[in-house]
Amino acid sequence: MAFSSSAPLTIPGRRPTVGGRGALGLRLAAVLIGLLFSAPMIYVVIQNIDLGADLGELLSSSKTWWPLLRSLWLGTTVAGSAAVVGTALAWVLVRTDLPGRRVFRVLAPLPLVFPSFVGAAALISAFATGGLLERVVSTVGIGELPQLRGFWAAWMVLTLFTYPYVFLPVAGRLRHLPRSLEESGRLLGRSPLSVFTSIVFPQIRPAVSAGTLLVFLYTISDFGAVQLLRYDTITRVIFSNQLADRATFFALSLLITVVALTVVSVERALVRGDRPVAGRSSATGLVVPLGRWRWPSFIAVAAVMVFALVGPVASLAHWTQRGIGSGRTSGALAVETSHLFEALTNTVFVSILTALVSVVVVLPVAYLSVRRRSRIGDASNSMIVAGFALPGLVSALSLVFWVLRSPWLGRFYQTLPLLILAYMLHFGAQASRASQVAVAAVGRSHEEAARTLGAGRLRRLMTVELPAMLPGLLAASGLVLLSTMKELPATLFLAPTGFRTLTSEIWASMDNVSYAQAGLESMVLLAASAVLTWVLVIRSADHLD
Amino acid sequence: MEPHNPLTARLPNVPRRRPIVAALVAVLALLAAACGSDSAGTDSAGADSAGAPSDGADGLEFEGVTITVYSGRGEDLISPAFALFEERTGATVEARYGNSAEMALQIDTEGDNSPADVFISQSPGAVGFLNEGGRLGELTSATLDRVPEQYRSSGGNWVGITGRVRVLVYNTDLVDPADLPTSIFDLTQPEFAGRVGVAPSNGSFQDFVTAVRSDIGDDETLAWLAGMADNNSPNYPKNGAILDAVSRGEVEMGLVNHYYLVEALDEDPSLPAANHIFADGDLGSLLIVSAAAVVNTTEQAAAAEALVAFLLSDEAQALHASGEKEYPLVPGVPIPEGLVPLEELAAATIDLEVLAGGLSGTQSLIEQSGVQQ
Repeated sequence: MAFSSSAPLTIPGRRPTVGGRGALGLRLAAVLIGLLFSAPMIYVVIQNIDLGADLGELLSSSKTWWPLLRSLWLGTTVAGSAAVVGTALAWVLVRTDLPGRRVFRVLAPLPLVFPSFVGAAALISAFATGGLLERVVSTVGIGELPQLRGFWAAWMVLTLFTYPYVFLPVAGRLRHLPRSLEESGRLLGRSPLSVFTSIVFPQIRPAVSAGTLLVFLYTISDFGAVQLLRYDTITRVIFSNQLADRATFFALSLLITVVALTVVSVERALVRGDRPVAGRSSATGLVVPLGRWRWPSFIAVAAVMVFALVGPVASLAHWTQRGIGSGRTSGALAVETSHLFEALTNTVFVSILTALVSVVVVLPVAYLSVRRRSRIGDASNSMIVAGFALPGLVSALSLVFWVLRSPWLGRFYQTLPLLILAYMLHFGAQASRASQVAVAAVGRSHEEAARTLGAGRLRRLMTVELPAMLPGLLAASGLVLLSTMKELPATLFLAPTGFRTLTSEIWASMDNVSYAQAGLESMVLLAASAVLTWVLVIRSADHLD
Repeated sequence: MEPHNPLTARLPNVPRRRPIVAALVAVLALLAAACGSDSAGTDSAGADSAGAPSDGADGLEFEGVTITVYSGRGEDLISPAFALFEERTGATVEARYGNSAEMALQIDTEGDNSPADVFISQSPGAVGFLNEGGRLGELTSATLDRVPEQYRSSGGNWVGITGRVRVLVYNTDLVDPADLPTSIFDLTQPEFAGRVGVAPSNGSFQDFVTAVRSDIGDDETLAWLAGMADNNSPNYPKNGAILDAVSRGEVEMGLVNHYYLVEALDEDPSLPAANHIFADGDLGSLLIVSAAAVVNTTEQAAAAEALVAFLLSDEAQALHASGEKEYPLVPGVPIPEGLVPLEELAAATIDLEVLAGGLSGTQSLIEQSGVQQ
């Protein structure tokens, strides 16, 4: 392991100089990891050279411009609202005495697990004329609901399904902020709001920023939700050209890559100024009594959950119940439940494995980039993060391309290790940004104290740094876990033949217009993610206290 | 290891972390499990590729042969036919299921090393794409001749296995059947503005446009598409989404393949939706085929072709018709109840080989017309 080579001992108290630091082994690992993660983007570049797409002409066409601008506009607005919702939820659920906060903490990350083609469809059918929601509101005398389509619909649906990208890392960070500053603030008579804006927020800013970036990248790569909600973005142009005009298909994928790399660099530059706040991080953060805001806050949190979770679940349950009600399907459902268990165990197994592998692989890069402020670490990190903006289909195709063209990798095609590699390449971004936040959470004074006491490199890592990073790393693996559970394109291309996952089953059912089946499978997916989130992310975090 | 961890034991102030240790143990267990299943997977894959047609002591023609099928056709629809084939020939069919267009893209990207032996596509566009790229092997005339000429490729590289009709699905609460158009060309009239959902980015719409092109030429096709664009026909991602929108009343009508409604009514007989088939021979109600082909990089062409041929056997064709509410293409096999006779539908060729510009020609017409909005 790269960590085990001992770093040169610096004089205690002196900060390492900026740039190019870190053990050679670590830097080498970062270069290799960066290369690995850039493989999908290199594939896109190669295809562009091969097919000779005229990027200039594409860019000058309004048929490219408008969808691209819509993508950017949607990405920006969704990122903004998800940042607000995710941060507010994290603070209220972690740092206040909100009633039911323990249950909400398990529920809040879950909307992430809806594959967008199901989540959007479920919400649409809830909102639809004669749908569930209308039946509910009509009992209180409200007439027709607005139809869920266009920009506002896409903005709302994507915000509801992506805020967990912000929620998880921010909640992880909030739990373990040093309480001393906040206590001083409170003692000086500052209001909770003022303590939040002046003391808490600056410390969680990197986590908020990391999550927001992920939301942006996810939004510009999304196809399922925007298509169903009829907001015409650049991914529609990419997808409708997949067979007919591959030059355009790859040229626009390149365009998305360039946008992503730019945004990633900008974000990195913005966050770079932030330094980990000195001070002893406490086991538990300060709990703020909400007072008369208790119930209004409860209603606000519950409202988010109703739209993001209860609404879609009610739709799914309704599909299933309706299907079972009619004769033919109940027979079909009974047959299909045998697949369901297999799909469930497969899904749980690969998601946990992917989450662990991803965090282990990106950690050296995060460490190098944050602690050593190394350019290699930064560059490598940009590759990891930017790849997330590529539509899943393009990312999966790139693996098909690379694997079957390397003689020694070909035999792993459509095997489990390669599937996990594919997941990791696509979701590494989530592990990476959240891991960076985790690494940044290690107080330097802590580490230096251990160093002064003569603790060796490995020992410092195991006893000081890793424990301090764990809340952030759990958030990182939680994100990867939930994303992997809903992944589709790589699963269809690269899973071993006959390997069912819940999402591939849901997709097949939707494709087959078997909504009853799709509803049932989606609810199983949701239940499984709830259990995993609770056991692996939340309970582990509680144990750390 | 957890009770006497020397690292945690010696440093004060650092609490012992049982859950972490437990997590590590879990990780190791999982990794061990993963390694186990990986090696098993690789072994069986190795055995598969070594498989060659045996002499078939027990009379099974392809005993020990594994055929890898990439199927854009859903498992529910086609796996019974695969099972029958396995039973009859002793072959093993390993089927992967996915979206037809994406699988075509995958086979193309896999290149010479593609594991696919047979490709089954819900859409002629996707097989056409592979054919244009020279990735399909030629089928024998014995196989091709099972279906009438218009349901197979002129070059003999793919063959239709079932047919679906293009229809106008409409909401029965919102549309009076008397007001339904007799021809798809009526839909560009102002009275239909904003009332007809389309899925221009979807393969089935593209196939339909390709068929229209081969029938009336590019100029008139473009005029019709532009008319639909001027009418602000709402866009949806695919057939299923159009049907959903129609049955909940978001849009009154939509252009789809017929069987989506048949499936949906099975689950919810109260859906206020019905299929409208355009009058005799109108292009709006074309028959569009799902197709099968042998990938030309296959190492077992004989078994692969045998599977394709089996899908055209009377037995398998009857299976398609009974379970799937689709048209069998082999003459003489009875069509499912409730479907109009094949002869009443427009006969279309969706043969990209005979169309200039093929699929990209279709896509560029769609782009040019502005119907995608």
